Amino acid sequence: MATIKAVKARQIFDSRGNPTVEVDVILSDGTFHRAAVPSGASTGVYEALELRDGGSDYLGKGVLKAVENVNSIIAPALLGKDPTKQTEIDNFMVQQLDGTVNEWGWCKQKLGANAILAVSLAVCKAGAAVKKIPLYKHIANLAGNKTLVLPVPSFNVINGGSHAGNKLAMQEFMILPVGASSFKEAMKMGVEVYHHLKAVIKKKYGQDATNVGDEGGFAPNIQENKEGLELLKTAIAKAGYTGKVVIGMDVAASEFYDNKDKTYDLNFKEENNDGSQKISGDSLKNVYKSYVTDYPIVSIEDPFDQDDWEHYAKLTAEVGQQVQIVGDDLLVTNPKRVEKAIKEKACNALLLKVNQIGSVTESIEAVRMSKQAGWGVMASHRSGETEDTFIADLSVGLATGQIKTGAPCRSERLAKYNQLLRIEEELGSAAVYAGAKFRAPVEPY
Amino acid sequence: MSVQDYLDKHMLSRKLEDAVNAAVRAKTSDPVLFISNHMRKAVQSVITKIKARQILDSRGIPTVEVDLHTNKGVFRASVPSGNSTSMYEAVELRDGDKGVYLGNGVAKAVKNINDKISEALIGMDPTLQSQIDQAMIDLDKTEKKGELGANAILAVSIAACKAGAAEKEVPLYKHIADLSGKTSPTLPVPAFTVISGGKHAGSNLAIQEIMILPIGASKFEEALRMGTETYHHLKAVITEKYGAHNCNVGEDGGFAPNISSFREALDLVKEAISRAGYDEKIKIALDVAATDFCIGKRYDLDFQSPQKSGQNFKSAEDMIDLYKELCSEYPIVSIEDPFDKEDWEHIKHISSLGICQVVGDDLLMSNAKRIERAITESACNALLLKVNQVGTITEVIEVVKLAKEAHWGVVTSHRCGETIDSFIADLSVGLASGVIKAGAPCRGERLEKYNQLLRIEEELGDQAVYAGEDWRQ
Repeated sequence: MATIKAVKARQIFDSRGNPTVEVDVILSDGTFHRAAVPSGASTGVYEALELRDGGSDYLGKGVLKAVENVNSIIAPALLGKDPTKQTEIDNFMVQQLDGTVNEWGWCKQKLGANAILAVSLAVCKAGAAVKKIPLYKHIANLAGNKTLVLPVPSFNVINGGSHAGNKLAMQEFMILPVGASSFKEAMKMGVEVYHHLKAVIKKKYGQDATNVGDEGGFAPNIQENKEGLELLKTAIAKAGYTGKVVIGMDVAASEFYDNKDKTYDLNFKEENNDGSQKISGDSLKNVYKSYVTDYPIVSIEDPFDQDDWEHYAKLTAEVGQQVQIVGDDLLVTNPKRVEKAIKEKACNALLLKVNQIGSVTESIEAVRMSKQAGWGVMASHRSGETEDTFIADLSVGLATGQIKTGAPCRSERLAKYNQLLRIEEELGSAAVYAGAKFRAPVEPY
Repeated sequence: MSVQDYLDKHMLSRKLEDAVNAAVRAKTSDPVLFISNHMRKAVQSVITKIKARQILDSRGIPTVEVDLHTNKGVFRASVPSGNSTSMYEAVELRDGDKGVYLGNGVAKAVKNINDKISEALIGMDPTLQSQIDQAMIDLDKTEKKGELGANAILAVSIAACKAGAAEKEVPLYKHIADLSGKTSPTLPVPAFTVISGGKHAGSNLAIQEIMILPIGASKFEEALRMGTETYHHLKAVITEKYGAHNCNVGEDGGFAPNISSFREALDLVKEAISRAGYDEKIKIALDVAATDFCIGKRYDLDFQSPQKSGQNFKSAEDMIDLYKELCSEYPIVSIEDPFDKEDWEHIKHISSLGICQVVGDDLLMSNAKRIERAITESACNALLLKVNQVGTITEVIEVVKLAKEAHWGVVTSHRCGETIDSFIADLSVGLASGVIKAGAPCRGERLEKYNQLLRIEEELGDQAVYAGEDWRQ
């Protein structure tokens, strides 16, 4: 049985040219296994803490302290350990080596969630190699899941909110090829719709609207949210996939919530905004309901502020049967918040971001909890990514049923999709694509 | 040791059966000779399997990926692809069926690898790069690799190169250095794309790319830091002047603010370099891609603009004057493709002025014959090396040698359609090209090349040499 012989971290750069942590785990059999951690643009107040150096180098975003924490503290402590013992290693790093806790659980403030996660991911890859099984199978085993499923990709194709410079309040519009018969076909559908969308946008808004944002989506100079939905409808029709490709939204409503008067300002990006367009939570709920009536929308993420539990529960109660209500900022992949949301029926799907929770073991636990509550799970990238494809294997191993990892553009996004193509090829006739069952592709485990 | 133990230990039955099967597949006229040659190759690690698939590049366009198996492991490669392919470069094979990936599928190229190339190469020693490459060229039989597809051939060539390095148990860049004869591995100066225009982005700017070169860094890590900091400052400058809407990026990760004048763009870059505190340490390079806006013998600087004034047509002489002015006003050290690729006269003229490095991209297309002509005529003094224009690693090494023997600079280059394959990073170190152009410090397919150079520099430790001020040698 190969054991951990060395752990080495370095600073590399993510897809936005920002520093991030990369770790190599070297085993006694001579092999090495590498992982790099993603990073978000909008970190929530409840998520695991990423350690940045501050100062002027790299505009304050350096991660040399986190790298040093891996090399000096974590690495010596893991020598000789068995990489297949994921839970033991994760708990050791989180609870003993770091040990920091806040009201929401282990916060990883001392060593940095970016340091701990990088090691956790690399150990997971090493564990799979030691067992001589694919990573996704190893993850499935760790979770106790017996059924592997290729996820429906949720392609981020139009950007607004804080991810883009246009007036669009809502952060992302996504297309989901639920009508495909395989992941390979889903990719074909997504790519073709994307290219048709590019042509439609170029014609309507000019060629400068075809440049892309952090996740590969377009940011046309749209004046109104509904306009984004119309563009998608047109592109889907032109590609010939009406009925087979449907729509998802990530509103990121916390970005335009006014905590003082509990209102939502869809005009928050207007330069001379006077706040006259603010609406109540109930009015915003009705906006969503009208969209659901008029367009094939199957998923709405972050429809309200992360602390507006009341309106989350209302929307979920009213449209939750036909539309998945996904908690991202609401939950930040935190087990206590997931538990609260389950109890209060605030939403019915978890957006899984591994760097918000900070270790593989805790990610699996959050997913298991969600599935046992009958929720959907969408495995997700961050806006700062690398070529590490871990979340592709994670989404298959945990049978999340859905993966959100950007547009079919920019290779830090496509690397995940390409990995899913390889996994499906490898599984051969045993491959199962989530398709229309993306919200509950397997029995809870 | 019993007979059975001996047979099992050496896997003799399987090896013999493999050899017999290979002979039968090949329908060779002399099976015994074929089998003996086949068995001779089995003395060390050989290629045991080659499997290709279609994946997607950084623009969501299909490209070829290959897994090449040897006894030592599996080696993967995927190929880049450009927007502007021309008659002189190796031919990429696309399916052309508009109903599938809008005609850009590569299922035929994939099939050519899985059926024809695989059969031809199984059993070969992966360290014999030139023999592997020649076998594929012979199998294709066309001058520009159009039969099997240069995308099919290159993917296998790169994967074999990686397998060869592993077989020799040396890093990839060292293997490439060995294949090329004698070069000392050198970390290249990165030429970061910071502003995109022309065909690579949606903006009115005619010029295709403006790049920054951290020549004054002491090592690659520092160069990357300079580049990323300047890039982020540029984003801030553009946001202040043009609004956040102008901070989306083109295919190479460069910003594409809606400006149309060279000077306006250069002023933005100059301001960003200054804010980052790297005046004197960072220089500027231009990739004009003038072929894209040459009409007849004149150059239309408004070719990307929806509202053409008709007032911005320049003669070649006007362009020379413009370049002279820009080079005296800004720290420009390199200009790529200043004129149309067939305008040899004016390219020679600007090179003779000695105001900066003149890089041939469209002029040369990494084509040996055009490089020879350019050397003879002193048409330019640097080669832009794009591996997919050549088609095999062996030929890539040959054209680099040709350029270096003429004391030219070499810029190892990406294409606008890339994947996370970081091969060109190792190539640029192994061939000591001095400069690598892999896009902005933005977008994962660009950063992956730069990240690989960080790893190589770390691995080399005290032996690491950064090209720095010697970037042209």
